[in-house]
Amino acid sequence: MPGATRSLTIAANTGSLHAATEFARTGALEASLPEARIGELDLLIEEIFMNVCWHAYPDGRQGVVALTYSVPAPGELRVEVADQGAAFNPLTAAPPDLTLNLEGRPIGGLGIFLVKTLAPSLTYRRDRDWNRLTFGITASS
Amino acid sequence: MTIVTIERSQLSDQVVLLVSGRMDAEAAPEFEDQCKACIAEGRTVLVVDLGELKYVSSMGLRSFISVAKTLQAKGGALRLCRLGGLVKQVFEITGLLVLFQVYESVDAALAGG
Repeated sequence: MPGATRSLTIAANTGSLHAATEFARTGALEASLPEARIGELDLLIEEIFMNVCWHAYPDGRQGVVALTYSVPAPGELRVEVADQGAAFNPLTAAPPDLTLNLEGRPIGGLGIFLVKTLAPSLTYRRDRDWNRLTFGITASS
Repeated sequence: MTIVTIERSQLSDQVVLLVSGRMDAEAAPEFEDQCKACIAEGRTVLVVDLGELKYVSSMGLRSFISVAKTLQAKGGALRLCRLGGLVKQVFEITGLLVLFQVYESVDAALAGG
């Protein structure tokens, strides 16, 4: 159904992760994305969602994540992940140093890098007190 | 919901962990715990068969890096084999395909080198 927009607001914690990926998958089905794209979609949702869980609400308050998707055309899915946490633009995050040897490699810091690599259309805007991260994924991307 | 299963076997006196399913933020600690248990037994080389793993996120990668660091510090190694699809793509993007000891088959991983 081109043009349809659906939203889901869930608690920003690990226990909500599968609800987030399942929700995005309904969008993938509506957009008729192939299996390979759905795996990438899962990854994008998990990385963005978990980043919010860990970093957006550092003061311990229970925050939420609002997911919205639309299918602008068959084979196209647009997803927005929004939170009311501290302002954070992942597009400005420094990339990890992939040339370090195992000893020097930090164990983390790869999630945002994966998102930026797999979703070249990623955009960020601060909308009043919301972080809004949007990306598109297409059947052929 | 079980999304990852880890089967342990012993081949040529080496431990092989067959990881199946999806290694996401919820499942990664289980894998790391299994590896730590092997390390606690004195194992310094672990062969991990990823042929049945369909998905890995950065949380899964954290576990792999952490375990590999621990093993290397003990003079051993984490040997991965049979990576494919999205899992291989994720390891490639993040530079881990060249950082880790990666093999095409379990036999090759057991032989090492």
